[in-house]
Amino acid sequence: MVFSYNWLQSFFKKRLPNPQKLAELLTMHSFEVSEVKKIGKDWILDIDVLPNRASDCFSHLGIAREISAITGLSYQNPSLIIREDKELKTKDFVSVEVKSRQACPRYTARVITEVKVGFSPKWIRERLQICGLRPINNVVDIANYVMLETGQPLHAFDLEKLESTNPKSEIQNPKQISNPKPQIKKIIVRFAKEGEKIVTLDEEKYDLEKNILVIADTKKPIAIAGIKGGLSAKIDLKTKVVVLESANFNSRVIRRGSKSIDLKTDASWRFEHGLDPNLTELAINRAAYLIQEITGGRVALGLVDVYPQKVLPKQIKLDLNYAKSLLGIEIPKTEILKILKKLEFKIAGGRPLQSAGGDPLQIEVQVPTFRLDISLPEDLIEEIGRIYGYQKIPARFPLALLQPPKRNLDIFWEDRAKDILKEIGFSEVYNYSFISEKGREIFQYKNTELVEIVNPISSDFQYLRPSLIPNLLKNIEKNQRNFGEIKIFELGKIFKKDCKEKRALSGVITGEAFYELKGVVDLLLNKLGISNIWYDEYQPTPEESKFSLWHPKKCAEIKVNHEEIGFLGEISPRILDNLKIGTKVTVFDIDFEKLSKLASEEHEYQPISRFPSAIRDLAILVPWETRIEEVLNEIETAGGLLIRDIDLFDIYEGEELPAGKKSLAFHIIYQAQDRTLTSEEINLLQKKIISVLEKNSGWEVRK
Amino acid sequence: MAKINLKLLKKEAQKEIKKTRDLKGLNEVFNKYLGKKGELSLILRSLKKLPKLRRAKIGSEVNELKDFLKIKFEQKAEEIKEKIKQKIEEKEWIDITAPGRKPALGHLHPLTLVKRKVEEIFQSMGFTVIEGPEIETEWYNFDALNIPKDHPARDILSLGKTLYLKAGGLMRSHTSSVQIRYMEKNNPPFRIVVPGRIFRQESTDSSHEINFYQLEGLMVDKNISVANFKAIIEEFFRRFFGKDTKIRLRPSYFPFVEPGLEVDLICLSCQGKGCSVCSQTGWLEMLGAGMVHPNVFKSAGYNPKFWQGFAFGMGLDRLTMMKYKINDIRLFYSGDLRFLNQF
Repeated sequence: MVFSYNWLQSFFKKRLPNPQKLAELLTMHSFEVSEVKKIGKDWILDIDVLPNRASDCFSHLGIAREISAITGLSYQNPSLIIREDKELKTKDFVSVEVKSRQACPRYTARVITEVKVGFSPKWIRERLQICGLRPINNVVDIANYVMLETGQPLHAFDLEKLESTNPKSEIQNPKQISNPKPQIKKIIVRFAKEGEKIVTLDEEKYDLEKNILVIADTKKPIAIAGIKGGLSAKIDLKTKVVVLESANFNSRVIRRGSKSIDLKTDASWRFEHGLDPNLTELAINRAAYLIQEITGGRVALGLVDVYPQKVLPKQIKLDLNYAKSLLGIEIPKTEILKILKKLEFKIAGGRPLQSAGGDPLQIEVQVPTFRLDISLPEDLIEEIGRIYGYQKIPARFPLALLQPPKRNLDIFWEDRAKDILKEIGFSEVYNYSFISEKGREIFQYKNTELVEIVNPISSDFQYLRPSLIPNLLKNIEKNQRNFGEIKIFELGKIFKKDCKEKRALSGVITGEAFYELKGVVDLLLNKLGISNIWYDEYQPTPEESKFSLWHPKKCAEIKVNHEEIGFLGEISPRILDNLKIGTKVTVFDIDFEKLSKLASEEHEYQPISRFPSAIRDLAILVPWETRIEEVLNEIETAGGLLIRDIDLFDIYEGEELPAGKKSLAFHIIYQAQDRTLTSEEINLLQKKIISVLEKNSGWEVRK
Repeated sequence: MAKINLKLLKKEAQKEIKKTRDLKGLNEVFNKYLGKKGELSLILRSLKKLPKLRRAKIGSEVNELKDFLKIKFEQKAEEIKEKIKQKIEEKEWIDITAPGRKPALGHLHPLTLVKRKVEEIFQSMGFTVIEGPEIETEWYNFDALNIPKDHPARDILSLGKTLYLKAGGLMRSHTSSVQIRYMEKNNPPFRIVVPGRIFRQESTDSSHEINFYQLEGLMVDKNISVANFKAIIEEFFRRFFGKDTKIRLRPSYFPFVEPGLEVDLICLSCQGKGCSVCSQTGWLEMLGAGMVHPNVFKSAGYNPKFWQGFAFGMGLDRLTMMKYKINDIRLFYSGDLRFLNQF
């Protein structure tokens, strides 16, 4: 909210610190001042009043009180001496009926007659303008002025425009013709009726729902309570008799109403945060005083005040030792009392309770009713701390038990996996946790399997991502212009129906890189201490076989023991086309929850044999569709423990070979842990392997 | 038989050794004198005919000469090899100013790097790192944190910009949601930090994102104070930025703490003098904090009479942007390798 420096100054006899200095003091003790700007002879301070202090500090009076507590300067309440006219009685003009006490805890009204509506004086117009309000006429301006001054929204009605309670009263009393006794008008605070409408001051039309509180005369709503006045009872240049309303409305009722008709005003904003019902009287008297002074109106005697349940100040017991313990600094008691008094707290009971040693340890504090934010000792401690100055609190390390922090294994394995992938040359990306409606269509996710957002900022963020792959592919599309080969990965949460979230780890390489990525997965898993890795044919579910993310012939399930932990394969060309990706893309997609359960730091050193190894080569012709794993398995089984390693060094398919055949060439490395193998031994083993391999039909070892 | 002139032989051999330029030539000379059919072998063979005494004398002289020449040959061979090496080395000149060939390395995301650093600093001060779910209930995200329904804070604080799920629940709008989850299952005293992704219903621009990262901190014990918080957070900034920094605390409001605090860090660019980085204020707004509200302890099933604690929440994206001077938060979630490859 914007405040006028000169206006704030008007509460003080002594000079305030200069605007910059004042802004700094407010920032350090009350609220951040986001801007200080000179306008004409005045300065504006844009103060970010904290939301819990709206009840007392969306007003110049409230800020003046803060300044007084911070600087120690005394401030004065604005003048409000009204000369009530004993010939006029407010209750002869207007009566008020509040239908819902809960929605309207207090309603005060005053009547001012013989008002001359016109321009307001320059000083009022200037202050309103500097605070961002547009001057309208003296009556309306005064209502607004008092709102900015006290924080209490006010409303003014033209009394003569209200429906009268008893339209015949005028005729019944002929004596009054020379000095006509006014009719008694009735103001009713009630919820809107089905189908009711109102045209507001700005000539907008609103359909009112039953949960919206209105101010009505006997016939129709004349204002949306706490939000905006109606056109029908507008103050205009012909207005003679003004009814001032200064009421307290329930914050939830106003909040709901303002939301449902989508209308926020200076008044609704204040009511939404809650206001002190005791404030209405101060504000209405101040406004009546100003109207009387400025328009020459006559203030009728008495205040119409519907206030069935008076709000009384709260009492809080404050243990000074607790204050010391919570703030970590001992503030002298006199200082504490001084701060509280400046903020208009009262120390009740005169004398603080005494401790055994005679030291007063506990004080009883009475909270002014305008401090809606204060109800606990901690709230008082905050008041003391901030006014005293947080900058005076020393930095002191806590004295605590030496508790070694627990290791977080989830994070440990995440870090480990990321490091391994980074070492292999992959770069980490972070993508949004969302996919778009368009993305859903491209990947043909069903609505039912996705978690949908009620209030997305746009359809780009309509669903939570069910997989990391869609956004990783988007990364490829974006980067393909600048990079030839792209290797990226992401580790993050994915979301499936029933709001289940789990971590996934996916990596992408551009190009036909199935075997490269398979090697990456092997390495990753090995480095995470997982050994029994194997790859199974991709078994699409019946649904997937109609449409799949994966290239149906170039995809494998990654398995550890008997558990499937993820997939590895090329992305379906149809999807790549849709995403305008010009290269083949190979992806691995791993369930990280499963992976981190399998991961292990156990690792055992394998002794290095002291005895030499020997290498024999073996080339074999096999049918084209034969899996390399089958050949490897046969060699391993036949060779037994003396084979240390088998290394596939060539796969060849070509014209020289018989049709439908491929040639595989291996280095077989023989080694024993306990002796040097003789060539006879090795030759025997090699022969055995060959004979075993050749038992398979169509397998032919090349000699 | 020819007169055996060993002296002359020695002289000639030395002369020839000296003359040779390459290993091949040296080998020829070697064969001429010391080979199977070389001069010295011939002499030794011719000695058979001589009387025993004389044979022994000349024989030992020949052998001496043989040993002498062998050393000479070896020395010469070394000399030649050395020259060859020198020649090769001269030919093998490289241009050391040509650019090096870098192996293709991978890169970790800057937010990962900063998250690790932050975790490490807090762990060294005894804080355990905890995580929590990204999909939350209204209870953990709001109600349990003293933000009841219809509370203005649910709208007015940016906490109000929450993403809700059609199936019920919401995307957590702060990591504070983990406070209650942790306290329900653990008893004080404890110290935790909670890094994690959070979500806001927000239009994106250079300083706002729809998802970003926060780090929550919570320390609860018998006598934890604002002074303790000040020490911990100052130490954190010192270690994070690797230099002596200054902070200031000022009043703020979060429903789940009381007193509520805002922590400003002295501007790293101007040391508080005021510059464009800190919009001339000299200070950078870093995090929200405060002393845990008694109602939060109650939600967690603790008796607020027995426990005190501080809580804080800071944006890891902002910290990362400051550390690497990144000016647009959206780069983090762009997947742009021109950006990511710089880390």
